[in-house]
Amino acid sequence: MSAKGEIVIEVKDLKAGYGERAILENVNFTVREGEIVVVIGRSGSGKSTLLKHLIGLYPPLGGEVRILGEDVAAARGEDRRRILRQFGVLYQSGALFGSMSVIENVRLPLEEFTDLPEIGRELVALSKLKLVGLATAAELMPAELSGGMQKRAALARAMALDPRILFLDEPSVGLDPITSSGLDDLIKELSSYFGITFFIITHELASIFAIAHRAIMLDEHRRTIIAEGPPADLRDHSTDPLVNQFFCRRSEAGSTLSQTPAP
Amino acid sequence: MHELEQPGTAISADVQGEPGGAVKVTLRGRLDVQTTGYCWNLLEERLRPLHPSSMNVEAGELAFYGGIGVALVRYLSEGGMTPGATVTVRGLSEEVERLLGTFTAEDFRTYKPRPPPRTRIPEEIGQGVKTLWRDMRGQIIFIGAATAGLAGVLRHPSQLRWREVRHVFEVAGCNALPVVGLFSFLVGLIIALESAKPLAQFGAQIFIADMIAISALREAGPLVTAIMLAGRSSSAFAAELGTMKVNEELNALTTMGLDPVRFLVVQRLVAALALTPALTLYAMLMSILGGITVMRFLGFPPLMIYHQMLTQVQLSDLVIGLTKALVFGLIIGGVGCMRGLETEGGPAAVGVSTTRAVVTSIILIFLTNTIIATVQYFMS
Repeated sequence: MSAKGEIVIEVKDLKAGYGERAILENVNFTVREGEIVVVIGRSGSGKSTLLKHLIGLYPPLGGEVRILGEDVAAARGEDRRRILRQFGVLYQSGALFGSMSVIENVRLPLEEFTDLPEIGRELVALSKLKLVGLATAAELMPAELSGGMQKRAALARAMALDPRILFLDEPSVGLDPITSSGLDDLIKELSSYFGITFFIITHELASIFAIAHRAIMLDEHRRTIIAEGPPADLRDHSTDPLVNQFFCRRSEAGSTLSQTPAP
Repeated sequence: MHELEQPGTAISADVQGEPGGAVKVTLRGRLDVQTTGYCWNLLEERLRPLHPSSMNVEAGELAFYGGIGVALVRYLSEGGMTPGATVTVRGLSEEVERLLGTFTAEDFRTYKPRPPPRTRIPEEIGQGVKTLWRDMRGQIIFIGAATAGLAGVLRHPSQLRWREVRHVFEVAGCNALPVVGLFSFLVGLIIALESAKPLAQFGAQIFIADMIAISALREAGPLVTAIMLAGRSSSAFAAELGTMKVNEELNALTTMGLDPVRFLVVQRLVAALALTPALTLYAMLMSILGGITVMRFLGFPPLMIYHQMLTQVQLSDLVIGLTKALVFGLIIGGVGCMRGLETEGGPAAVGVSTTRAVVTSIILIFLTNTIIATVQYFMS
């Protein structure tokens, strides 16, 4: 059910990297409202780099990134905050604030950016935690949680302000299969009920086929998008050997882990 | 009847009192992250004074843009704003109903904010003593392990990772030269300057030389160096080892069969033991230089200052100063590493360990300094 909403993420000729070093070049794609897009590729292919450029942590080395029609990296002051409030980010490590309890972490954006009364903030924060199955851990400190629980708590925080776009960096790493498939269901529900757009970095094949409308594959040697389309199409019809290897979980024929193909 | 509308946004709430204590609430428009707070506060304000016996919420024309709006409906339907009233909510889409179902009133009731910890004095004292006891145990175990590690180095010096010792020596020692130098120079300068006036009354300004030399060798040199290193290096050791502990690097070492004390602490101890006396010697020199600067300013010729210093200063002063430096080095390295290894919990705990390292090492430095001075006073 590919959505036909407005374009929420637009990437034009993006050259992404750090300092002088470009990791990705000529990246072009758009994401429409309500879509679930996954980014795949081997370690080091630039998935996290792409994400960091989309959310405005790093300015593009070239080209343009528009989130909800606006240039995040160029926006300043109140404009920038307004754009930032409309998307949530789940970082790879969770990035919970260690000095606050779980519920305080989730409540923080509500306190800063809404005029909900105290009971309202409490209730919203708790309902978000309930969504990720952590209502009973609300008063614990992040250090007291397991890795998977930290990740879910961080997801609750990313969702606190009902963002229109959620960027998730490897959300299912460290989750057990049950929680992981529960997370998939949650993503699908949020996407269909509220039209939240998801941009997800993941390696989990099962999850890719379960939720993704579209997959974008990156490669570190060609340094750009090498395949794009519904995951099932990529698996069944792609002629690119790398894509086939990825979807069939095959290592490169006759090679050891350390060897990489010639660029 | 109250028609509530926030200017510029598309939410309206119509609160209508009906005969028999009933209230009808009609909600229309967008319930999103911006409008929900406004709507929540206004409904609260209007509904509280009414004390209705029943409430009908008409939500057919309400569009939801996320869980925050759903939370408001949940709160309304649980009677959060109308205690005791029976509440019916109509017109919700199946999806929102389902989402409402995932967060029941039961969840909210079972959640209780953690009560602030009660402080009863006997309990506090008991806890304090327990912590002190546990700390002491840990310290004794650490001292034992570190001593064993150092003894091991003496037996098999080649097993020590000298490259790392050199690295610590460079970072903690050589890089501290400017700051220790400046600080010692200024301390020598200040002592000379402060004493110049009172000594002038007795025509005894030449004794500034004695004072500077003795104080630099016995007190100023070792103490200035130790305090600088406690702030600079003890804290760094604690932060390094604390971060490693938090990142499970210490667990990784242990499961590889490597002892963290032998692998991390001993090098730092050896480096601290080597660099503290060396830096102290340098600090003594700089401190004397500071004093000489003042004396030259007062008009004493260099040779006179030199002879005056030599008549009073004995080798024992230098030996005492350097012995102190060795002890201080042990404290700086040992306390820093110990506090680092003690780190418990998340990254925030690293900050706590760092603070504790600096405070503990400075306290211990002054305590040992006092003990050494007292012992020496009674012995001579």
